Amino acid sequence: MTQAEIKLCSLLLQEHFGEIVEKIGVHLIRTGSQPLRVIAHDTGTSLDQVKKALCVLIQHNLVIYQVHKRGVVEYEAQCSRVLRMLRYPRYIYTAKTLYSDTGELIVEELLLNGKMTMSAVVKKVADRLTETMEDGKTMDYAEVSNTFVRLADTHFVQRCPWVPATENSDPGPPPPAPILVISEKDMYLVPKLSLIGKGKRRRSSDEDAAGEPKAKRPKYGTDNKEPIPDDGIYWQANLDRFHQHFRDQAIVSAVANRMDQFTFQTQTSSEVVRTMLRMSEITTPSTDPFTQPLSSNEIFRSLPVGYNISKQVLDQYLTLLADDPLEFVGKSGDSGGGMYVINLHKALGSLATATLESVVQERFGSRCARIFRLVLQKKHLEQKQVEDFAMIPAKEAKDMLYKMLSGNFISLQEIPKTPDHAPSRTFYLYTVNILSAARMLLHRCYKSIANLIERRQFETKENKRLLEKSQRVEAIIASMQATGAEEVQLQEIEEMITAPERQQLETLKRNVNKLDASEIQVDETIFLLESYIESTMKRQ
Amino acid sequence: MAGSQGRGRAAYTFNIEAVGFGRGEKLPDVVLKPPPLFPDTDYKPVPLKAGEGEDYMLALKQELRETMKRMPYYIETPEEKQDIERYSKRYMKVYKEEWIPDWRRLPREMMPRKKCKKAGPKSEKVKDMGKGASLTNTADVLKKIEELEKRGDGEKSDEENEEKEGGKEKSQEGDEEDDAAAEQEEYDEEEQEEENDYINSYFEDGDDFGADSDDNMDEATY
Repeated sequence: MTQAEIKLCSLLLQEHFGEIVEKIGVHLIRTGSQPLRVIAHDTGTSLDQVKKALCVLIQHNLVIYQVHKRGVVEYEAQCSRVLRMLRYPRYIYTAKTLYSDTGELIVEELLLNGKMTMSAVVKKVADRLTETMEDGKTMDYAEVSNTFVRLADTHFVQRCPWVPATENSDPGPPPPAPILVISEKDMYLVPKLSLIGKGKRRRSSDEDAAGEPKAKRPKYGTDNKEPIPDDGIYWQANLDRFHQHFRDQAIVSAVANRMDQFTFQTQTSSEVVRTMLRMSEITTPSTDPFTQPLSSNEIFRSLPVGYNISKQVLDQYLTLLADDPLEFVGKSGDSGGGMYVINLHKALGSLATATLESVVQERFGSRCARIFRLVLQKKHLEQKQVEDFAMIPAKEAKDMLYKMLSGNFISLQEIPKTPDHAPSRTFYLYTVNILSAARMLLHRCYKSIANLIERRQFETKENKRLLEKSQRVEAIIASMQATGAEEVQLQEIEEMITAPERQQLETLKRNVNKLDASEIQVDETIFLLESYIESTMKRQ
Repeated sequence: MAGSQGRGRAAYTFNIEAVGFGRGEKLPDVVLKPPPLFPDTDYKPVPLKAGEGEDYMLALKQELRETMKRMPYYIETPEEKQDIERYSKRYMKVYKEEWIPDWRRLPREMMPRKKCKKAGPKSEKVKDMGKGASLTNTADVLKKIEELEKRGDGEKSDEENEEKEGGKEKSQEGDEEDDAAAEQEEYDEEEQEEENDYINSYFEDGDDFGADSDDNMDEATY
């Protein structure tokens, strides 16, 4: 793992789980898989705390364990999974767009808790939804269950591997750690539960006593006295499925940008591509370079209801898409009215290349971008040829090429004329290696997000005194309102924060919002680049 | 080799024109220091995407950050005590639910092994005592025992022995705090604690105060 990735993981773990978990997690990421005592010894933390931290990390699928010979259990951290924590808002928002508020809350609970049983999720989500509804209305468990089943059917949530029920025939000592297994067909199997009930609203008397600890604070999981019907069956969010959805979204919007600007009918070509992708959702694994071939007749039948274009028009669009130099759609045969596939790998490559071009343009200027696109197109060019083709004076072209070269967007390829590789008798050609440029840009993205998070934490720390003051004032106002206070008194308390301080708070809020929004956007770029790199590595 | 010195003339080993500089042209300056930490950019960055989706995700992100801090998975580092206890702190304390993982899914070594019957704060305190009195005191304890044995103080050395045993056990089994907890449980600490208000450490190890006076007097000590 690169230093930039480790630093980013450290910041994410610290923000979400605190310093102790961060210390253990980063240590594991750095050193690979280790047993429990070695971790405690190397990090200098007590065994008790290491155990707690590992429990938290395992619960959230960030650390896995393996039993090695002689019964030693080793723990390994999954760095790439830690980096996914940046994407949680996007997953939750996607669930909202697809399955509305219920789906959104289900995915949010699963992501916040790592793994949960279906009954626990349903209960919690029903309670949360009931809170937001008007007085007297409650959310029925059945509705939440239905949404859960739909999420499982479309593979957005999946079962966690579980302990297989052994017959206890072997008299030997129980293994030091359970071996968790899962089979493909069981992964989306929803247990037959009859969850009957309604969401409970938290009573307002609870809010009054918020200051004092309640005598019997309910412990998580032991709330209900009846045995849980689906005990041991845990569910988690299926991040790969979300990634597949994002990838499809990116392809559809790319096609829309390219082809649908000039047509009168709104977004037909992107709709066709979206239909093709939807048909291939479950049949094609997301790592394949092509989808399964689909015949034009099938596509026609699967177009969304109410989309009335004739078969001929559909065929025209398909031909247009297949002939496009972007090569998103390819024709693989003529049976059934024409067999078409979507070139997933090529599509990802185009998206990654477009990202690179855009970065070069924004960083170095449009003339540099012209040179970059030229070298991309022609594959290998000499210094002189670049000047000629790009129609840019020699000095400037030279300068730009070296700027890009030192930024590692462009690389030099040596072609010797003689076996002794004498420099005066060697061709030096400029070329763009997309894979390595993508890797370089990805690394830079990780650094950027780490910088953004650090800056946000710095800004918050700088204004910590002011933030605490405003929080205290709010707490005081809230408690005064609860006990019934006059408007004048409330005004007085509010004036404890002076006008310049309010100004400062406004600026802080604006800055923090900007930094947060930047993080989310950089993560989108990270997704594209990672998908492209993963797809390329699979093909090699 | 001496032959390739260039005989006092500057000569490049490669064709300088291939790299793009003309002959005799002034080469750019050599860079002698690392690039600046915050370099000026010629081109300002493009504004961020704005839209309903982006706004919603931003709000979600900030909410999630706050929520995560309140979850039981967020393990806090113990804070130093504040110098002034603020009134409003009472209203801002967040009481976290406790989380118990599903032990069937985790390796057996993850479970905190509690052999003592009294779970909760008592065993915590006893564990702390155990930890404190462990490896650091073993050497001291052994020395003191030798001293006291010379003096012939039977009662004190019994206590010392128990502590020493506790310490030894701990050092033998490494960090098995739970065993030490079980061991230290036998120690009189809890009973002493309940009987009087004094802090335990008031009476140091080498203090003869309690032991001697018990031999002679029947009345209460002041």
